Amino acid sequence: MKKLMTYTPTHKMSDLATQHFRILLVLNRFGIGLGFGEKTIAEVCKENNVDVATFLAVANMLVKDDDIAEETILNISPEALITYLQRSHEYFLEFRLPEIRQGLENVLTERKNDLNNAVLNYFDEYVEEVRKHMMYEETKVFPYIRELIEGKNNRKYNIDIFRRHHDQVEYRLKEFKQILIKYYPAKGSNELNNVLFDIFNCEYDLASHNKIENQLLIPSILKLEQKNRLRDEQTN
Amino acid sequence: MSKQIKIAIAESSDVIRAGVISILKRMNSQILFFEIKNFQQLRQSVAHHNFDILILNPILTGFSSPQQLKKEIIKSGGIKIIALQSVLCENSLLSQYDESISIFDSSEQIISKLKKAISSPDTDISTECLSSREKEIVGLVVKGLSNKQIAQKLNLSIHTVITHRRNISTKLDIHSTSGLTIYAIVNKLIEIDDINKND
Repeated sequence: MKKLMTYTPTHKMSDLATQHFRILLVLNRFGIGLGFGEKTIAEVCKENNVDVATFLAVANMLVKDDDIAEETILNISPEALITYLQRSHEYFLEFRLPEIRQGLENVLTERKNDLNNAVLNYFDEYVEEVRKHMMYEETKVFPYIRELIEGKNNRKYNIDIFRRHHDQVEYRLKEFKQILIKYYPAKGSNELNNVLFDIFNCEYDLASHNKIENQLLIPSILKLEQKNRLRDEQTN
Repeated sequence: MSKQIKIAIAESSDVIRAGVISILKRMNSQILFFEIKNFQQLRQSVAHHNFDILILNPILTGFSSPQQLKKEIIKSGGIKIIALQSVLCENSLLSQYDESISIFDSSEQIISKLKKAISSPDTDISTECLSSREKEIVGLVVKGLSNKQIAQKLNLSIHTVITHRRNISTKLDIHSTSGLTIYAIVNKLIEIDDINKND
């Protein structure tokens, strides 16, 4: 595999986004619009009030599948990262998954039968699972992190509890894809392929979303917890 | 994107545990580490998590064989157990493990052994078709019967039913009831009326 470069604040934003199309999703979630002309990553981030270190941590993680440097973790703004993750939840729940559901329905309703109902039922159950997974983060984990940022120490919860129970939310989508490919007795059609491609993409996106939580969010919160604990010890 | 791997390290020495983890972190994969300090914790952890790999100091379990461990406390299939050797062990014991690493191995040796263990396929269950018994069980699961009900109906122990279900999941790579429903309809294992009754 060819060695991919790590992007820095002085690279052009347009270079990053044209070379790696998945960055478009990231830009959107950070609230950055297109049309950056010749501006650097730092300039574009500043204009949009986005923390450049956090943006680069996420972007570089998507671009190259590498170990995360300690320094990267220390520079992340947890606040910016959870805003990003929340937007990304919104994207999956309000846009991506409903869109796949719509596509499935279009393909399947040609023949309305029990098999097709079972397939839709499977997908609905899956979406419900994703919703629960994400809602747990929104109602339990993110509020806890916000408290930490404000300097409060909630002793009943810690990020390690989350780490241990954080399951791979894309796993069942992979299963779904396999079931469709292995067992769904349909003639291959452009429409069905379209839905499958959407599912592949969504599976990839969900996996990288999870990876951001596991490898950027959790380590940076561990550091924050440490810092707060140290401060508490000093004041006592 | 590579799958996340769950690795548990069962070793009573804090220093050795930390050392092993820091070496494994150099591998380019997504690993979730679980640290286990004693036998008690080992018992609890394996009950709650499905580890892909257990790196275990044989001292921790009083040098019992990995087969015994799998039978008595681990029970989930597919786990690979690697011996972490800090004192001399009998070779006949070590060879029963999926792999063994010594605390005097170099980082490179440890990483390459781990990689080998991760990529070697599970030997116990092949991905052949379901047996007729397993098909029968799929039909009953899809109809909404609990493991207990299935056991009663087929005159099996609950333990056997659970084993069958685990093998079904492994063979088909389907882990949910709604997924099995699709499989059952396609393969005509159930009459459509059977599911509707439960709606």
